[in-house]
Amino acid sequence: MKCPHENCFAPDTTCALGNLFFKDCARWNGVEKPDAEISRSDDEIVLPWSGSALGRSDIAFVTGRRSPTTIGVFGPENAGKTSLLAAWYLLIGRGATLSDRYKFAGSFTLPGWEAVARTMQWMPGAPPEFPAHTSTRGSREQGLLHLAFCEDRSRLRDYLFADAPGLWFQRWAINEEAPDARGARWIVKNADAFILTADCAALSGPDRGSARAALQLLARRLGANRRGRPVALVWTKSDIQVTPAMQAAVRDAVRSQIPNCEEFAISMQARPGDTAGVGMGLTDLLRHTLQIRRLTQALPPSGAKTHDPLFLFGTRS
Amino acid sequence: MMKTTTESMLLVGESGVGKTHYGAQLLKRLLNSGGQFRMNGAATNLEPFEATMECLNDGRSAAHTPTSTYVDSEWPIVGPGGHTFTLVWPDYGGEQVKTFLNSRRVPSAWRRRVTTTSAWVLMLRLHQLRVSDDLLSKPLASLADGEADDTTSDKLLQLSDQARMIELLQILLYLRGDGVGETTNLPQLCLLLSCWDELGENEPPAIMLMRQLPLLSEFIASNWSHPIILGLSALERPLDKTVPDEEYITRGPEQFGYIVLPDGKATPDLTFPLTVLLESPEE
Repeated sequence: MKCPHENCFAPDTTCALGNLFFKDCARWNGVEKPDAEISRSDDEIVLPWSGSALGRSDIAFVTGRRSPTTIGVFGPENAGKTSLLAAWYLLIGRGATLSDRYKFAGSFTLPGWEAVARTMQWMPGAPPEFPAHTSTRGSREQGLLHLAFCEDRSRLRDYLFADAPGLWFQRWAINEEAPDARGARWIVKNADAFILTADCAALSGPDRGSARAALQLLARRLGANRRGRPVALVWTKSDIQVTPAMQAAVRDAVRSQIPNCEEFAISMQARPGDTAGVGMGLTDLLRHTLQIRRLTQALPPSGAKTHDPLFLFGTRS
Repeated sequence: MMKTTTESMLLVGESGVGKTHYGAQLLKRLLNSGGQFRMNGAATNLEPFEATMECLNDGRSAAHTPTSTYVDSEWPIVGPGGHTFTLVWPDYGGEQVKTFLNSRRVPSAWRRRVTTTSAWVLMLRLHQLRVSDDLLSKPLASLADGEADDTTSDKLLQLSDQARMIELLQILLYLRGDGVGETTNLPQLCLLLSCWDELGENEPPAIMLMRQLPLLSEFIASNWSHPIILGLSALERPLDKTVPDEEYITRGPEQFGYIVLPDGKATPDLTFPLTVLLESPEE
């Protein structure tokens, strides 16, 4: 049983029309419900966020207060996209990450983050490992993970991180209109910045040729679609050595498409002798990512001599 | 500073943080006029604390408050400078908090409490809360010198301890009708780190919180401009449910318990957190 409103998922979440109690909603009252449901939900307030990764309909709740910065993490399968997000969450959770500029201010996807990070934590009886494969199945477009930071102790900023399966991007790189790449297209359309992951393990492994080709294809597609939005090229698992020739081939391919992209090398393995327990390059990349601002429209210079906004435009000087 | 005559505080804490014990000890202090605040007349209903006070008089710790209970008792109080007000002190089983974290549904009675209270007091038992080690803080290579995990906290929603506390505060903020991050007109927040004696630390409470639960500490600092973080040891020492503590019987429970002030100094005045009620709300 579900509310007939197309964007409303009552009784799982709050009423999409803003009623605090379901009984006040005309649409909800129009559906026939089992008696148990009526008595249960009339005196309870349902929270608008479930805590899991946000779906397309759920983001309205987060975007309502201000426009979030959306970061799309791109890369082929098994490149360490989810691990990157999980590592960030763990670092933030230990307070080990940021400068005084950014302070954690909340998240509506805490269980979602925890689900991603769980496998990397030490739990009694089970050693940590890297997050399992992000599934392509499931009806949700993609999971968006939310974080809010307080910048300079005054301004609040919302961030959404898209955690999508690598297969989507591989399909999208090959065929922009591929039916199973809808999620990738959504991210490309809506993201404010991109992280392109280059998997050092794959680029030095037995299938390095096809890994390089796939990455070049993806860079080309991303370059054609990014519309000036910033891209960071991130070498994941960078504790594994990639030959300089291979590195150059990837770098040149990416740079030819995305000339101003920034480069980062990250690894969960800290450099030898580094005991801070923050891996390698992870905090730099996070700091860089938090500083990304949405491209804004700039008004053309008016050329007018007056300060009266009514006469700013349209005057001939 | 305008103050209404009824000040109610929302006391939030999971089960086992010592809400009822603190309530009973606070009540004793108020009745004996040992601190800045004292009882100005008779409270409406002391029933929720009757059994607990009885136990403490015998030098034993009290039993757990049943889940379904939610009793507000109203205490007429006179504070420093003759300021009089009525304090509404709730007593309830901490599982209620756990239930709405789990079911993602909050009884509408809680919304009323959240919106009408002028201060929120969140009780945390730091000793039971922690951040797990992970691949980054403790790489696989250092597995050999790993220490044994000594906590047996049951994982709720499998959320980590600090994520759970943050979610709880976010829910309260949502119920209040303000978004997270809107720092205007929020009720004053007082964090009571309960069972302070278990920690065996002399650091100021805010430092302890930052060290043990950094994410929660950042969250609070981001959302409240002047949160008050205090340590609380309501009983001063662990008491057994059955074996009576001889000193408690002789000296009386009102001689025990202390508050750790933000600067790390301890005061036996358990009524100190009530001063947060008298401070003007956040500007």
